[in-house]
Amino acid sequence: MLRFVLGRILSAIPTLLIVSVTVFFLIRLVPGDPAALLLGDHGDAAALAELRAQLGLDQSVLTQFRIWFFKVLSGDFGTSIWVGEPVLPLIIQKFLVSVQVVIPAVILATLIAVPAGILAAARQNSVVDVGLISVATLLLSIPTFWLGLLFLLVFGLHLGWLPVVGYVSVRTDFVGGLLYLILPILTLLLHEIGTIIRMSRASTLEVLRLDYITHARAKGLSEGAILWRHTFKNAFGPTLTLLGLILGNLLSGIAVIETVFTIPGLGRLMVDAIYARDYPVIQGCMLFIAFIYILVNLFIDLLYSFFDPKVMTQ
Amino acid sequence: MKHLLMAGVASLALIGAAEAQTTLNVSLNADLRTNDPGVNRDGNSDGVLMHILEGLVGARNDMSIAPMLAERVEVSDDFTRFTFTLRDGLKFHNGAPVTSAEFLWSWKRYMDPATQWSCRTDFDGSRVVNVTSVETPDPKTVVMTIDAPSPVFLALLARPECGQTAIMHPDSVGADGTFQFPIGTGPFKWQEWRKGEYFQLEAFTDYVSPPNDGTSDGLVGNKDPKVDFLRYMVVPDGATVIAGIRTGAIHFGSISAEQIDEFRDHPTLQLLSVPTGGHNILYFQTRNAPMDNVEIRRAIAEAIDLDQLVAMASNGTGTPNMSLIPVGSSWYSDVQAQRPAYNPESARARLQAAGYKGEPITIKANRRSNVPSYAAAIAAQAMLQAVGINAQIEVLDFAIQTDQRREGVGQISSVSVTPRFDPSFTYTFFIGDKDKDPSRMWEDPRAIELMDRSYTETDPAKRQEIFDEMHKLMMEEMPSVFIYNMVYNWLAPKSMTGMPVWESYPRLWNVSLD
Repeated sequence: MLRFVLGRILSAIPTLLIVSVTVFFLIRLVPGDPAALLLGDHGDAAALAELRAQLGLDQSVLTQFRIWFFKVLSGDFGTSIWVGEPVLPLIIQKFLVSVQVVIPAVILATLIAVPAGILAAARQNSVVDVGLISVATLLLSIPTFWLGLLFLLVFGLHLGWLPVVGYVSVRTDFVGGLLYLILPILTLLLHEIGTIIRMSRASTLEVLRLDYITHARAKGLSEGAILWRHTFKNAFGPTLTLLGLILGNLLSGIAVIETVFTIPGLGRLMVDAIYARDYPVIQGCMLFIAFIYILVNLFIDLLYSFFDPKVMTQ
Repeated sequence: MKHLLMAGVASLALIGAAEAQTTLNVSLNADLRTNDPGVNRDGNSDGVLMHILEGLVGARNDMSIAPMLAERVEVSDDFTRFTFTLRDGLKFHNGAPVTSAEFLWSWKRYMDPATQWSCRTDFDGSRVVNVTSVETPDPKTVVMTIDAPSPVFLALLARPECGQTAIMHPDSVGADGTFQFPIGTGPFKWQEWRKGEYFQLEAFTDYVSPPNDGTSDGLVGNKDPKVDFLRYMVVPDGATVIAGIRTGAIHFGSISAEQIDEFRDHPTLQLLSVPTGGHNILYFQTRNAPMDNVEIRRAIAEAIDLDQLVAMASNGTGTPNMSLIPVGSSWYSDVQAQRPAYNPESARARLQAAGYKGEPITIKANRRSNVPSYAAAIAAQAMLQAVGINAQIEVLDFAIQTDQRREGVGQISSVSVTPRFDPSFTYTFFIGDKDKDPSRMWEDPRAIELMDRSYTETDPAKRQEIFDEMHKLMMEEMPSVFIYNMVYNWLAPKSMTGMPVWESYPRLWNVSLD
């Protein structure tokens, strides 16, 4: 097990290397000068040149890359051009905010959608199946920003049950902080439920068609036992893969939800950094996201072995 | 039991006292970039810091300059020696008295290149003036000397983007030389910053306003804090700002021109459409064909029905103004109000005379919600097409548009430029040699000469003549079409009294929530 984990971590190094090179050079291909944005409509060409020199933007791109890369190797991701703060603590701080929305939403969505998908498959073509698939399709079709705004209007504005604007960290005020998280979690949860129901249903249907399920039925096992004991573990594999992708995707930024609900998370940090051409933050975020994807996928691979021991043997 | 009861009563009293305190919640579209005045600044930072910090002089509503921390300012006959006498009884937020020594400390810090004060080169002889000495003969007096006469020196000191060259207490900087937080003399003091969430200022109860008639006036006038706390919340989304204001979670926030209609006659909310000194412009790159042809530029000016364009772009809130000087400025004269009449026939004739054969003319615009770049471009495109100009629109990310304007790329750019206190500062932004700075709009030697004179002429009447002459020349040469001064739209509950806006900044002193 340890060898497997170490091997996976080591194999991530080339990935991170490629990401760092790609991100660094790609963002510099995008027009827009961070120094010009910092100056806004103040300062002349001389002031711009001075600021570019201060930020090290007057050096060749290769020199800039060399400086940044060796700093990253020593754990220094640089300093934000826009807010002047060290990048890594900034990213971690924002990431921990995003996690408070993403993890509960994905766990709750999984707990609701996986059984719902299995149920829909077990009752294929019944009213339950059609109903669940219709709900899933509807949830998938509604853009999160629209759903979020709708919730703000209903629960915040008209009913007045929940705050519509602002953010309080749960570390400062647990109950107050939770109130601010309910609507974003609900919005994200509903969107992801749609995706997971469909995957769970499809993979369950596939397993239900296999010979060993027919054999189990022939043995006279109940439908419940067939579903939960013999189908679930085998059908959950593809859903688990999807969950890994969803988790990686969401942890790397839920910018729309964060913007609508004024949550200072990683997604908003990255979007703001892109608009401001804040190179160190963009580069740091992308590297961090790649790292998160690798970790999440490693975790998912380890979970596979729980559902299918053959994976570990292989 | 008795102790418990007393503790309960005490707690209730404390809660009652806490409830009696008022917090005014303001939305900002982005977090504060800095709390160090004039360093890595942006508009939000300037607007917040003007509640905390004050300089020797400040701007009035009409952008003229008045004493702020100074009781009076004496200017030598040759406009090179400025003697500031501080008001009596001034205190910093930490209770320390304000003396000339703190000004000298602040000035030295600003002028130290390590501070990276964005306005340093305006005072060190590189650009505008050269401050040759700063003396503090006694605790109440500051004497600043410059090497050549300058009518704009006081305006240079008062600029919000320079943190008003504020007097700060030395404890604003830690023992290791790093900036901690601003300890100033303003009506509110720094309290808390939760990055990405909010930051909060607290009323300074010992605050004394500059002499005033009870009303707010720019950055001077009555500045008494009338709420206990100001809380600035970071709300990037316009729809969320409105939802927040409707529920009362936000008391004051900016909305875009497209959002104002439903609030014009709202029963509980007041809409404030406030003109500023900033300019919305169709910015011509006058070296690039066909914008290098004065007849084409004049044809464009005549093809635009400015009243209609402004009404469309500002949703009925703007006032047409083709002058480099804003309508609200004390320098805005009848001459500044002159502009070419809407005349499509004349525009067609000019195009023909210029040999225009339908070459595409592209208007670059951005889609930021707080400026009318795109709306103005759309309206202008229709009007230009009506006279036969092949006008196209290219929508760009703001960063790219800024880059291209600075590099002198393109033909027309629909842009907005923030206000300047003095017309000379506005001229500096637009006029100059494009070889040295391609971002300059206009490099006519006559305009450059007038600009240079405006920086040295100390007689106000003669300065007015220079400004008027510049406007007439501009109407002849039409280096760009200035459309109207920027208007910001704000929402507040009707219970809010006072004028909570100045220029593009929330100005929250002398404002209460009744």
